[in-house]
Amino acid sequence: MADLNETIHQPVRLRIMAALVTLGASEEVDFSYLRDLLDVTDGNLGAHLRKLEEAGYIAVNKVFVERKPRTFISATAGGRKVFQEHVAALELILKSK
Amino acid sequence: MNVSPTEAEEALAAIQTMMTKTRRAISSSGAYVFFIIWGFVWLLGFLGSQFLPQDIGGYAWMGLDTLGGILSAIVGVRMNRGVRSPSSNISGKRIGIFWILLFMYCIATIAVVWPASGKQLSMLIILFVIVGWMAMGLLLSFASIRWGLALTALALIGYFLLPGIFYLWMAVLGGGGMIVLGLYIRSRW
Repeated sequence: MADLNETIHQPVRLRIMAALVTLGASEEVDFSYLRDLLDVTDGNLGAHLRKLEEAGYIAVNKVFVERKPRTFISATAGGRKVFQEHVAALELILKSK
Repeated sequence: MNVSPTEAEEALAAIQTMMTKTRRAISSSGAYVFFIIWGFVWLLGFLGSQFLPQDIGGYAWMGLDTLGGILSAIVGVRMNRGVRSPSSNISGKRIGIFWILLFMYCIATIAVVWPASGKQLSMLIILFVIVGWMAMGLLLSFASIRWGLALTALALIGYFLLPGIFYLWMAVLGGGGMIVLGLYIRSRW
């Protein structure tokens, strides 16, 4: 049986992971775009991204695009796997209701 | 960690909502906007061809095509804003080159065959545009080629069997069909 993941289950982090796993494996999303998509503040998103990055579930890529600093975020392979396991565990809880 | 069935249900619903929102906002599903834009261009353009004097209808087409092109460019730039991948820049350039080449080949074909009527010219342009859409559908997977084939069939039926109302036919079925298809793709995603 797959386990629930405490780091991912937090509502904002759950939505972050849901958004990131929807992208292709080689795609990454801009920080401000993700912030608007989730409708959260810069600080709130930054804090949750740090937690997910520390857990190894996402990769944060800071680059310069047209001489402006940009931050791109993507789900790691490990993050995708853990997220799928978390979803499976949630579905199992529902089935056993 | 303990999660009740109600909490699990809420979490799964939140995941589903976020995935749908992300697909709509980020992925190629944004292409439905192109169908709606060009659906209105066809609807208004062909209505103009049917009911307005020929020269005014021609000017209306030029204005509508220009507006459609500008709106498509704006939507195209905004569509990929915020998402990038190693292959996206290359694909974007190739798609751009494809449409330029298709446009040039369409002009060359018109120059060679020199259509005798406005209907022939319209039909030729329609066929080139539909080929372009089907190629995009195959490459970007935002629409199946069956829509392009259906539109081609409708255009040919109107051209050969209903010449008196060909423009009206294309306005309602071609333009209207594209708008409906765009709305359908949006709701399906």
